[in-house]
Amino acid sequence: MNLLSLRDNYLQQRIMLCFNGPISRSLIEEIGHALRNYLNSQSAAPSSAMDVFAVYIEMTQNIRHYARLQDYGEEEATATIAVARDGDGRYLVSAGNLVEDADGQRLVEAVESLAGLDADELKRAYKQQLRRPRDEAATSGAGLGLIDMARKSTRPLEASLQPLSSSQSFFSLTATI
Amino acid sequence: MSHDLNLPGSPSTPAIQSDWQSGRLAMQGDSYPENSYELFSQVIDWVEAFLERESRSLTLVLELVYLNTSSVKAMMDIFDLLEDTYQGGREVAVEWRYDPRNERIAELAEEFKEDCSYPFAILPLEVGS
Repeated sequence: MNLLSLRDNYLQQRIMLCFNGPISRSLIEEIGHALRNYLNSQSAAPSSAMDVFAVYIEMTQNIRHYARLQDYGEEEATATIAVARDGDGRYLVSAGNLVEDADGQRLVEAVESLAGLDADELKRAYKQQLRRPRDEAATSGAGLGLIDMARKSTRPLEASLQPLSSSQSFFSLTATI
Repeated sequence: MSHDLNLPGSPSTPAIQSDWQSGRLAMQGDSYPENSYELFSQVIDWVEAFLERESRSLTLVLELVYLNTSSVKAMMDIFDLLEDTYQGGREVAVEWRYDPRNERIAELAEEFKEDCSYPFAILPLEVGS
């Protein structure tokens, strides 16, 4: 195992925090706690720290929720999470997970459809989604969380889908704060 | 008389206290459980029971700091219950206290307030520097 090259790679991409593996409810809390402490120690603006934390929670809970719906085993239910800074000091929150192709396509389309909305339109979409009946909202999945992340981002969310096998792909999502 | 709630709170769930006698429900802390419905259904049950069996006013005193989207949805359900009650001619009120250093929570409270016609105060807490 070449830890030095791993480390160099993290440094080069300005990754402050990274996780890859099966994600549990308590791990989400622990990593979230570490993330908050880190942001505080970096004297991040309280509103930015809050947005980074909020986006991290929505992303990871979406992944857990999806893996549960799909009845994935431990190996399929792993998440890849990274929080980094870009050259302009903005925070990048990314999370990726394995998805069924059709779900991945649907997610990418949902993210793309949000990209064209301005702040007022996003707020309207958020309130509309909030008032949808619980059952209906549950089957559409991730709707409210995606809109919430888009509202907290300073740039449109970026989604990508890379095929892993004949029916499954790796979905990744990045928010910029 | 009904059972009052007194939940201690955890990293991902708020502390919750209800007081049937004085018609108050209070919550403090972060709320981001994976299953917010499980947590909030007992709060909603308490509010519904109070509104049904009593004719006194009900006040919510909130010091919630961060809410994930499913907690936001649950809180909206509670605020909607209060709105129906208020429209029926009964006194209800919300007081949301927040740390002024955290403007995000004030913005969230403002968005809730937009859909409520009853008294909904958003008050900065005094903080030592």
